[in-house]
Amino acid sequence: MKLPQIRLENVTVRYDDRDVLTNLTLSLDEQRIGIIGANGAGKSTLSRLLNGLVLPTSGTVRVGELTTAKHSKQIRRDVGFVFQNPANQIIMPLVAEDIAFGLKNLGLGKQERQFRVAETLSQLNIMHLAERESHTLSGGEQQMVALAAVIAMQPRTIVFDEPTTMLDLKNRLAFQREIARLDQRAIVVTHDLEILEDFDRVLVVTDGGIRFDGAPDQAIAHYRQWSHA
Amino acid sequence: MIAAKNTSWLAGIPAGWKFGTLLAVSISLYLISSWQVLLALLILSAATLASARVDFKQLRMPLLTLVVILGVVLILLGVQTGWLNAAISVLRLLAMCLFAYSVSLTTSFDAMLELFQNVASPLRVLGANPAQIALALSMAIRFIPELKRVYLEVREAQHARGLGNNPLAVSVPLVIRSLKIADETAEALDARGYDSAPAPRNQR
Repeated sequence: MKLPQIRLENVTVRYDDRDVLTNLTLSLDEQRIGIIGANGAGKSTLSRLLNGLVLPTSGTVRVGELTTAKHSKQIRRDVGFVFQNPANQIIMPLVAEDIAFGLKNLGLGKQERQFRVAETLSQLNIMHLAERESHTLSGGEQQMVALAAVIAMQPRTIVFDEPTTMLDLKNRLAFQREIARLDQRAIVVTHDLEILEDFDRVLVVTDGGIRFDGAPDQAIAHYRQWSHA
Repeated sequence: MIAAKNTSWLAGIPAGWKFGTLLAVSISLYLISSWQVLLALLILSAATLASARVDFKQLRMPLLTLVVILGVVLILLGVQTGWLNAAISVLRLLAMCLFAYSVSLTTSFDAMLELFQNVASPLRVLGANPAQIALALSMAIRFIPELKRVYLEVREAQHARGLGNNPLAVSVPLVIRSLKIADETAEALDARGYDSAPAPRNQR
């Protein structure tokens, strides 16, 4: 799978006269990228810039040749997003129908939708959830369904915003395994530092900027040091 | 109640035919005043439901509720208009409900929404978007249990803080949390490629 480069050029995001991110320039090429940092540091805003859920106040975010300012709809097909709270991401009352929802938005026909739903459920070993009502799922099952809904759309990059925050240890490990198995690029915003051990690159975000950018062990050590200061 | 995967003969019939027939049967039931014919139709409706391979555990509570409501209707109508009239009304309502269960529990939610979009498509002339209305309907059904869960959490938190059954203390955080859910869900709709513009007909 050829992964498109994601590039931020002089990006600033401002809310209510406050800079949440300031003049960021970086390229994201690796397959596993972690983003860590304190609450309110700008991690979630940074993750939402990558598929156009948030547009920069100034500067440009490019995914391949496309910019989020002009092509956010196309980019969202290629950059999926898994939210912290899966309950609010599941739109339809039944699991299979929820996974088909995104496929319908892609304009796929009924047969193709059914095929992809079955294929994705099978890939994540959650075939048994297909006919379950969404509100009856446990937190771990909801997060798996949210991931399935994104995978089914076959994006080349998936951004995760604190995906394990609401999970117990067993579900957290299961979810971590699924992220490790993905062919797609995974960009994971997290406070769960263990997830990042096998990642290619970790960014430490503080006060609207990238404080450290490097290998996971170094980035985590830097973040711990910064947190204790 | 939402239809899980159903493999009965009824599931193979297109949703439009099923709901059209249900409409016609419901109207016909009101034209029939013979209790014997209505009793026969009630038996037919029960047989139809039985043949629909529905999970009866799923049906137990709705049926119990229905029986209680119709029991009240029977007593009220019996006292006011006579017992034969009451029995006829109750037979009619019960048959209609069983036919409706047979149809709704053998039709996937997706198929119902598609049917709704087709039926509501003339509203496009008035500027309405049937796809958006269908999505709003499905989200209402999806999020009712979610809002109930939030309500229970808020009430529990208020009880823990000794506020008892104070409606204001419950309603304010409930509204705020509901708005947050709405905000996050809107963001998820965007992330999942939902386009609020009407979809071309061949993509539905």
